[in-house]
Amino acid sequence: MGVIWLIAKDEWRYWARTKLALVVIIIGLVLTVASVVVNSIQMSHAKHERDHLQQSADKQFLEQPDRHPHRMVHYGHYVFRTPSPLSIVDPGVDAYTGTAIFLEGHQQNSAMFADQRQSSGLTRFSSLSPAFLLQILMPLLIIMVGYGAITREKEQGTIAILITQGVGEYKLLIGKFLALLTLGSMLLLPLLFASIYAIFVGESALLSGIFVLSYLLYVAIWSALVVWVSSITAKGQSSFAISIGLWIAFSILIPRVASSTAATMMPSAGKLESDFAVLDELRKLGDGHIAIDPAFAQLQANLLTQYNAESIDELPINFRGAVAEYSENQLTEVLNQFAETRMHEELSQAKIARLFGWLSPTLSIRSASMALAGTHLETHHRFLREAEALRFEFVQSLNRVHREKLSYEADINRYKDKSTAQNARVDSSNWQVLSAFEFKSQKPQQRLVQSFLYFLQLLFCLGFAFCLIGLTARRLLK
Amino acid sequence: MPDVAIQASNLSVHFGKNKALSDVNFSVEKGEVFALLGGNGAGKSTTLKTFLGTLEPTSGEAMVLGMSVADSINLIRSKVAYLPESVMLYGHLSGTENIDYFLSLAGIKRSPEEVAHALQRVKLQESAWHNALASYSKGMRQKTAIALAVLREAPVLFLDEPTTGLDPSAIDEFNQLISALSISGTTIFMVSHDVYGACQIAHRVALLDSGSIKGMFARNGAKFIDTEVVHSAFATRNL
Repeated sequence: MGVIWLIAKDEWRYWARTKLALVVIIIGLVLTVASVVVNSIQMSHAKHERDHLQQSADKQFLEQPDRHPHRMVHYGHYVFRTPSPLSIVDPGVDAYTGTAIFLEGHQQNSAMFADQRQSSGLTRFSSLSPAFLLQILMPLLIIMVGYGAITREKEQGTIAILITQGVGEYKLLIGKFLALLTLGSMLLLPLLFASIYAIFVGESALLSGIFVLSYLLYVAIWSALVVWVSSITAKGQSSFAISIGLWIAFSILIPRVASSTAATMMPSAGKLESDFAVLDELRKLGDGHIAIDPAFAQLQANLLTQYNAESIDELPINFRGAVAEYSENQLTEVLNQFAETRMHEELSQAKIARLFGWLSPTLSIRSASMALAGTHLETHHRFLREAEALRFEFVQSLNRVHREKLSYEADINRYKDKSTAQNARVDSSNWQVLSAFEFKSQKPQQRLVQSFLYFLQLLFCLGFAFCLIGLTARRLLK
Repeated sequence: MPDVAIQASNLSVHFGKNKALSDVNFSVEKGEVFALLGGNGAGKSTTLKTFLGTLEPTSGEAMVLGMSVADSINLIRSKVAYLPESVMLYGHLSGTENIDYFLSLAGIKRSPEEVAHALQRVKLQESAWHNALASYSKGMRQKTAIALAVLREAPVLFLDEPTTGLDPSAIDEFNQLISALSISGTTIFMVSHDVYGACQIAHRVALLDSGSIKGMFARNGAKFIDTEVVHSAFATRNL
């Protein structure tokens, strides 16, 4: 171990004297620290804004005057999701999907207020999250510093001296690897501090530790790969070119191939296509605003039988409210069916794409990072489902108010004149139908289980890189 | 059998159909200066590489300090010193830093006084000791590397074309150093194509041609090996 440390220390001495590593570390740290700080400020700001908006939305909803209950169904309500603490490092899909949903009757709206969608023009794709910097930029910095780790020894002729001093080839390669690993670890310092901060704001310490460990594995993989490439090439420029080639393959090509393969293996309908399909299905249900729609004839018959009434005027409930409730139920079933199909397709595609993590450490760290941070697709889907459950509950609560607390007669005569319109209202105390929406991050154990496969992928990539080093070590001077 | 430091027994190295070495046999005694002479492609570097364990022989055996290279290469490497043709230690380190670093890699501790004594012994000017090695001439780099070998107390020193690129005074200094090391018991094995230089410094010279030893020349009581005889054999290669 002593020789390995000596080699690693001398590599650092070389970097220090050539100022190379210093510049790279400063660039890497400045970018990552800036990104973590900006992201934290943005998230803190967004959290306050969300809390404020949530309170404001609740207040505005509750302060609505006496109204027709169906107007309140369309008045709608916002729900906001507080991102997980570790999303200051990895916002995951949140940056694209958004963390707020407008809930209203007859509709399942998409989440909104995604950072990427809110940006405009050239700034749209320019947001640099710490995770992006660590996953994409950090390997480049490791390549810039480490591509000459072994080729420099070969080009200078010092490798023969080293080996004939009794320094084993494997020890030489591990020493260089260790130097790069410590350099990469320094670039992880902002991540470490951000994770400690996350623990203070409620994140699990174990999960945060594994989050940092997975990035450390990623640094180790790139350090090993760069040393390996340097050991199989005779010239620094060849080593640099091959390392950049690997970076392009792992960071750009394989993720693109993964997405394309997933889209081909699990095709999903486009937005327009699925919107039309939903409309087609909804048309078969009838319009819940029109109580006499033939689609509700069976409901009418059933209610008349249930309440032993001759006509809907004799029913003890507001038939229009019953139709609205029934219609919303039917409509929600259809919408949920489409939503579940879409989410199943999205998740299947994501799972296929994530399997490519066996071939690309960049993909595996991306999957592990989002799963551990609780910002992956599964979390977004859970948010959509929980928001939908809340939407359905609050709309049906208002429909029940419509059915039970507003007479059918007042309802159908609401457009006759001002006084009938006034009669077709219910007291504002009925608006207390909103349940508090509190979206909680998944339990640490669940996130650890979900990230286990990607952690294995990282370990596999590291093991593979070490096998390559082991195979090369024997032939280093031959 | 006298104390043998280096031995080649039926050493053969084939690269496909090309026979780089064929049944090479020789032995070098402890404290002896042995030069392997030959032209380009004669097999000198191939022979050297088999002793350094960077090339596996097709057949035969290379032995250093009584140990087989095939079995104990790491132990052998920890005991021998090697100076390649273009001696290049680390350019970003000074002469003394290079020595400290390589000694520590070999697990050897030497006091600053011992390092200074070794550098004085190889006659490296004191003003250069703390300068970056990148500013050294080849001769100065070679002296630094020999000082390192001295400090390591390596019993065997392998040299690859040691005098190539050195000016005459540097060659003289180098020869004196090698003689002094030999007298102190260090075995020197060098490969060279410099007939004159080898005859001046070596106790024995082997002439290698097309992978085979074609002749062996010794001082036979004289101060130097007869350069004319070796040169003639080297020129005609028809021994």
